[in-house]
Amino acid sequence: FVSSLAMNVVGKSALSRTDVEPALAEMKRKLMERNVAEEIAEQVCDSVGRGLEGQRLASFTGVASFVRSAFEEALSGILNKRAVDVLMEINKSQVRGKPYVIVFCGVNGVGKSTNLAKIAYWLGGHGKKVMIAACDTFRAGAVEQLKTHCAKLRVPLYERGYEKDPAKVAFEAIRQAERDGQHVVLVDTAGRMQDNQPLMRALSNLIAVNNPNLVLFVGEALVGNDAVDQLTKFNKALSDLAPTAAVAAAGGGPSARGGTDGAALARRHGGVIDGIVLTKFDTIDDKVGAALSMVYTSGAPVMFVGCGQTYVDLKKLNVKSVVKSLLK
Amino acid sequence: MVLNELGARISKAVSSLGQSMLIDEKVLDGVLKEICTALLQSDVNVKQVANLRNGVKKRVNIAELAAGLNKQRVIEKAVFDELCDMLDSGADPKKLELKKEKGKQQTVMFVGLQGSGKTTTCTKYAYFYKKKGWKPALVCADTFRAGAFDQLKQNATKAQIPFYGSYKETDPAAIAQQGVLRFKEEGRDLIIVDTSGRHKQEAALFEEMKQVAAAVSPDIIIFVMDGSIGQAAFDQAKAFKEAVEVGAVIITKLDGHAKGGGALSAVAATKSPIIFLGTGEHMDQFESFETKRFVQRLLGKGDVSGLMDK
Ligand SMILES: Nc1nc2c(ncn2[C@@H]2O[C@H](COP(=O)(O)OP(=O)(O)OP(=O)(O)O)[C@@H](O)[C@H]2O)c(=O)[nH]1
Ligand SMILES: Nc1nc2c(ncn2[C@@H]2O[C@H](COP(=O)(O)OP(=O)(O)OP(=O)(O)O)[C@@H](O)[C@H]2O)c(=O)[nH]1
Ligand SMILES: [Mg+2]
Ligand SMILES: [Mg+2]
Repeated sequence: FVSSLAMNVVGKSALSRTDVEPALAEMKRKLMERNVAEEIAEQVCDSVGRGLEGQRLASFTGVASFVRSAFEEALSGILNKRAVDVLMEINKSQVRGKPYVIVFCGVNGVGKSTNLAKIAYWLGGHGKKVMIAACDTFRAGAVEQLKTHCAKLRVPLYERGYEKDPAKVAFEAIRQAERDGQHVVLVDTAGRMQDNQPLMRALSNLIAVNNPNLVLFVGEALVGNDAVDQLTKFNKALSDLAPTAAVAAAGGGPSARGGTDGAALARRHGGVIDGIVLTKFDTIDDKVGAALSMVYTSGAPVMFVGCGQTYVDLKKLNVKSVVKSLLK
Repeated sequence: MVLNELGARISKAVSSLGQSMLIDEKVLDGVLKEICTALLQSDVNVKQVANLRNGVKKRVNIAELAAGLNKQRVIEKAVFDELCDMLDSGADPKKLELKKEKGKQQTVMFVGLQGSGKTTTCTKYAYFYKKKGWKPALVCADTFRAGAFDQLKQNATKAQIPFYGSYKETDPAAIAQQGVLRFKEEGRDLIIVDTSGRHKQEAALFEEMKQVAAAVSPDIIIFVMDGSIGQAAFDQAKAFKEAVEVGAVIITKLDGHAKGGGALSAVAATKSPIIFLGTGEHMDQFESFETKRFVQRLLGKGDVSGLMDK
């Protein structure tokens, strides 16, 4: 794409908006082909374009690497987000004698339960005692799905069957885990569409009542433009709809762990999602754009990447290679 | 259905033509840009969008348009035709409708990517035909996913539809064959086979799908696709079509915010029509679908014949 840019700017002193416009349009198209949401591709190109304006170019060969590195830098900057060190945080909770609670949420069928099981396996490998809480009390087979994983992983399951209040099941599971000296509780939740108000409210209630240490949003790499809406609405619904700790307490709900974890409580009033689990990364070839859409929209880091259907198919995000695929 | 939102934007762009006194190249480009952005935001394949833009420009040669012709109508029709071409599988959906014939027992096999909604949709499909007087039955040939048989069993029980599956058997082809045989013997006239989720990157999974298809020789294979899928849709759909004889498509999860454009692109890849839409997690949240009607709605036209004749 840089050829079109080169034609226009050789011999000029500084780049103008019209000089870079064709190159940006081509770049936007490329990002969209790689499955970046339209709106995000537009915004990224716009901001890179603004950065390029007025820049001086020394030579013809400088142009190609110049624009490329501008995009490289911008994309890496977006994707490189600091994430909490989960294992270290778990150690800290262990010292206090409290289980570290992770809630998994997201829309239907993205891989919440499967990747929760992978993370249980990973934690087990690090010597952590893990309990799984079956708080998808709605979808057919959801409880049996976790039962199967727990049997294979030799991990205890806390379940109360179907049609129970998920917030309450989570609460009981956490107390049970504390009694049993578990280090981590992984809370599975039912899939829900981001604009289904009653279901979103139920999820924020679960989070308000149980005040987890970590809220993970699970999104699939296959998703297109909807990624933006999913993350925006999950974040918003969870912070807007969450009853305050006081209300939850008055309603009989526990604000149990709030005292020792004031920081987590405060954080709940800003963005809610602490990290992203990006799943089905093995199904998209070089169309890796959903990673960019999700991180750009939420500001949350990709903490885990699911890349297959077995327990070992869990990786960290390789920002370099994602950026490379986006620009290839 | 949120697909309509896309329709509203397209028809707004087209009708904005009426407001400009003079329709020239620049006006047409503006309208096309608006339509293409709407399509891209709905996840329609980037290349297909480019094709549509070029196609419309080819159909409408502004400079050569005879003075007497209504330019807006010409453009409108070009957009309509291009959209129809994009959505039209070439197959006649009427031929795909299940017809009850005495003594005939139909077998339908569901395939698709992981988590696209196959198992849920199997029951919806069975329930839809049950209400029409058919005698459906469900076979679980997913021996891989944890809890798969329990899921189908619980759904089937709720819908009061007989089901077949096993906790021990690990060969999906074997179990599919046994299930279909059993229900043929029992005189069921619509036997639905649910399979595991799979993707083109794993050859062994596609091989397995071929084996299941060979074991049950289905009358039709239905490809189930998630309405929120993005640019990966086309390649995946094409690979499924190349591996087995996909005959129809069902798009799920259209009760959400997604506009289904990625899945629509898959129609071009599978050359198969969309026959149903999933619009919720419950058994009855299921709508039949027809391309023509859909495009008419997209353009906000109740009666498209008038448009076609002009
Ligand atoms: N190829 C691939 N498949 C995956 C991955 N993660 C999950 N899956 C598959 O996706 C399908 C759905 O996974 P689940 O874990 O049941 O998804 P969920 O989000 O819990 O679904 P609901 O609870 O119904 O909303 C299963 O077939 C999984 O095996 C992944 O990283 N790669
Ligand atoms: N909101 C909504 N959810 C749906 C729809 N269809 C299916 N689902 C949900 O999507 C999730 C996945 O559905 P499944 O039927 O398990 O998908 P699958 O294709 O059988 O998954 P695998 O067998 O793991 O490949 C479940 O939570 C379903 O309840 C729909 O039309 N709308
Ligand atoms: Mg689940
Ligand atoms: Mg299934």
